[in-house]
Amino acid sequence: MSFKIPIGPQHPALKEPISLRMTVDGEVITDADLRLGYNHRGVEKLAEDKTWIQNIYLTERICGICSHSHASCYVQAVEKLMEIVPPRRGLYIRYLVSELERVHSHLLWLGVAGHEAGFDSFFMYTWRDREIVMDLLEMISGNRVHYAINTIGGVRRDIDEGQKAKILEGVATLRKRSEYYFAIGANEPSFVARIAGVGLLSKEQAVSLCAVGPVARASGVARDVRKEDPYAVYDELDFEICTAASCDVLGRVVVRVKELLESYKMIEQMVRNLPDGDIAVKAPRKAKPGEALARYEAPRGENTHFVKSNGSDRPERLKVRAPTLANYPATIEMLKKGFIADIPLIFAAIDPCICCAERAVTLVDARNGAESIVLMSELRRRALGRAKNAPVKGNAVWPF
Amino acid sequence: MSDIDIVESLKRDLGAKALEVANPDRRRIFVKVAPADLIAAVTLLRDKYDCAYLATITGLDKGETLEILYHFASTAASLTVRTEVPRTAPRLASICPVIPGAIFYEREIQEMFGIAVEGIPDPRRLNLPDDWPEDQHPLRKDWKHVRPAEVIPGGKS
Repeated sequence: MSFKIPIGPQHPALKEPISLRMTVDGEVITDADLRLGYNHRGVEKLAEDKTWIQNIYLTERICGICSHSHASCYVQAVEKLMEIVPPRRGLYIRYLVSELERVHSHLLWLGVAGHEAGFDSFFMYTWRDREIVMDLLEMISGNRVHYAINTIGGVRRDIDEGQKAKILEGVATLRKRSEYYFAIGANEPSFVARIAGVGLLSKEQAVSLCAVGPVARASGVARDVRKEDPYAVYDELDFEICTAASCDVLGRVVVRVKELLESYKMIEQMVRNLPDGDIAVKAPRKAKPGEALARYEAPRGENTHFVKSNGSDRPERLKVRAPTLANYPATIEMLKKGFIADIPLIFAAIDPCICCAERAVTLVDARNGAESIVLMSELRRRALGRAKNAPVKGNAVWPF
Repeated sequence: MSDIDIVESLKRDLGAKALEVANPDRRRIFVKVAPADLIAAVTLLRDKYDCAYLATITGLDKGETLEILYHFASTAASLTVRTEVPRTAPRLASICPVIPGAIFYEREIQEMFGIAVEGIPDPRRLNLPDDWPEDQHPLRKDWKHVRPAEVIPGGKS
């Protein structure tokens, strides 16, 4: 007997509401289908009517969690078009905010992963610690979400010695706590057993389906724009690409945990080596005709912006590719052969957070079309039930 | 490989198929091919230049023609394959047999620019609603959004 389960499309906490229709045979998913477009805002068309400066604020609003990523990627492209080079102090501050944003995004994600796996104390600890980095971001930019620190030719706010000391202090606390929790993870075999072997994506699939970010790196594809195409300051920093070979949700947790520690390292380097000088140069109002392609490693994966100019004060075309879209084809593969109870976990693992709040799921009987509504809480109860019944995998090892 | 090596090697491998090879910036290489040579060029990039990763597909409305850019990336450089199709007969072959991850971007190009992608495994719409008119393609330059007149139930007081 085959069922179809639609999930979505409306979800208040999601940046991109999507509809997911899964064909299930018993508890096993045999096929998955995605439908997008429920929140299409026409940003690319709108950008053609806005000036270069106005578009910074437009691109910043593409996403709430990685708002700085889109704005930075856009200004990188526009700076190339206008042939201006921001001062090094400005660049250091811009990418310092980038790494702080990565820390807040990964801590948020780790909390969601813990929550979906039924490890709620992990969720509460990571979200409490996330406040430290949110406070740092607020101190630097004045905002918790849209930092609005970028401008064409540099950044808009400087940081002083007191703020530098506070950042170092905050990062030291975060590192100490992160290491402590990760050691706890090793003593919690039920957590490791719940996430090991779930949502498999082989290396070949990750390559052929063009997966990006932690999803690709957890399948052993060492692709990171910061190393591959080191923009601005990244060739001056000492860090490593974090990968895992297990190709499952455990691997995605491991990659993000390692990236947190690498980000702490980078933040400290940038704060300690912050160059003196100006934070921005004046940018012209118009850009010469031309085109530029910018790449940026956002917390979820690679961001790609393509900008074409026709010589006026606004772009002829702005193309935006957000990392979640690149990971959808891979998600469909991850869901296949999985269990209904693993949907929240697999979905959380690519970090679109579709299941981080209460929502309704409709079960459709394929034979008579009858629908029954299942609440997300029921889905989670099934997930937790499966966690209890799942045999503890003796060979699954926490790598810290 | 440095940018110059890649440009030279591309010119050698593609021969007459490469209508134009440009290197406007460090690590950014643009190759122009005819629509008929697209699959051959993409296969060559994937097999010889380590470009299995397609970042995205961009469409550009250039008036008489529509230009499509396939942004690939390898560890050495970002390679972009560009091709132009006439506006009167916008047809293009699907690259999904070579790069399966291109499916979402091809669906987007199809609906936003009205380019018929031949042989696409899944021709449904990606972002536009189901009741969207067939002949309207929002990212074309001549498409303007007309806001429908506001209807207030009961009329304005």
